Amino acid sequence: MAKTILAVDDSVSIRQMVAFTLKSAGYEVIEAVDGQDALDKARQRTFNLVLTDINMPRMDGLKLLESLRKISQYQAVPILMLTTESTDEMKAKGRSAGATGWLVKPFNPGSLVEVIKKVIK
Amino acid sequence: MTDDQDIHPESGFCVSDNSLNELSDCILSDESDEFFLEIKKDLNQIERLVSDAVNNLVINFKFISQLTKSHHEMVMAIETLAVPNQNEPILELLRRQMLIADKIEHELEGAITSLQFGDLVTQLLAHTSNQLDMFVRVLQRIDSHGKNSPAEEKSVMDVTQKISEAMRTAQSRTKRKTVVQQAMHNGEIELF
Repeated sequence: MAKTILAVDDSVSIRQMVAFTLKSAGYEVIEAVDGQDALDKARQRTFNLVLTDINMPRMDGLKLLESLRKISQYQAVPILMLTTESTDEMKAKGRSAGATGWLVKPFNPGSLVEVIKKVIK
Repeated sequence: MTDDQDIHPESGFCVSDNSLNELSDCILSDESDEFFLEIKKDLNQIERLVSDAVNNLVINFKFISQLTKSHHEMVMAIETLAVPNQNEPILELLRRQMLIADKIEHELEGAITSLQFGDLVTQLLAHTSNQLDMFVRVLQRIDSHGKNSPAEEKSVMDVTQKISEAMRTAQSRTKRKTVVQQAMHNGEIELF
């Protein structure tokens, strides 16, 4: 059975590119338009991995990360941040909030799939 | 959302005229209202054009990718038919076809990275728009703080007059806007 990934980004084009890349690699992909939408979807089912942007309306990626880590089913689920943010300060915030990894946009599809294969259970 | 706001559905990038309306009490208001509103409109137009272009490119990308997949499957099917007869010329052609298919796939991977430029541009535009709002607020603050005494008021008037002149110069030099398109539709053709 295909592993399921929750892809969170407010940009339609980024979501489409992520979904295309991951579906081509054999994963099932569910999209969410912001942190709040992602949290609602994550409460309905447990995903094998969450890949999220940071700067989004309603709920940003860091808040989503913190909220997910408070849910028992998501304490061990890999959560990757895919963002334009690349400062050490932001990365430290992500790390302390429980992020599994940090990918800076634009992403390379091969590298994205490689990282996901490494961390997904 | 108010009527004078325009929020792009993808990015949430927002151009609001409210911050500009607040300038109405300023000494600079006549020039600045028009000047800043024009810049905001331009930023909004750029955002729309970029998003429109990226969305179209993504559709093109998906179609090409689908065609490549179909082509790949067809080559495999022909190969299956050609193998029992060991038709070497056909098998050689198929090998070449597979090489081409691999190269197209590699190029499509590169396109996935390039197509993300829209998201970066949108975020930069939102940042520029916020900086512009900040600048407008600074001008308002300068204007309101300088009215404690006639001397202060005169000093502020001098500064704002210079800023107004600079704005007028900038506007007169950039009067002709060469891009009016709001979306990436085909351009009109006119025969004379």
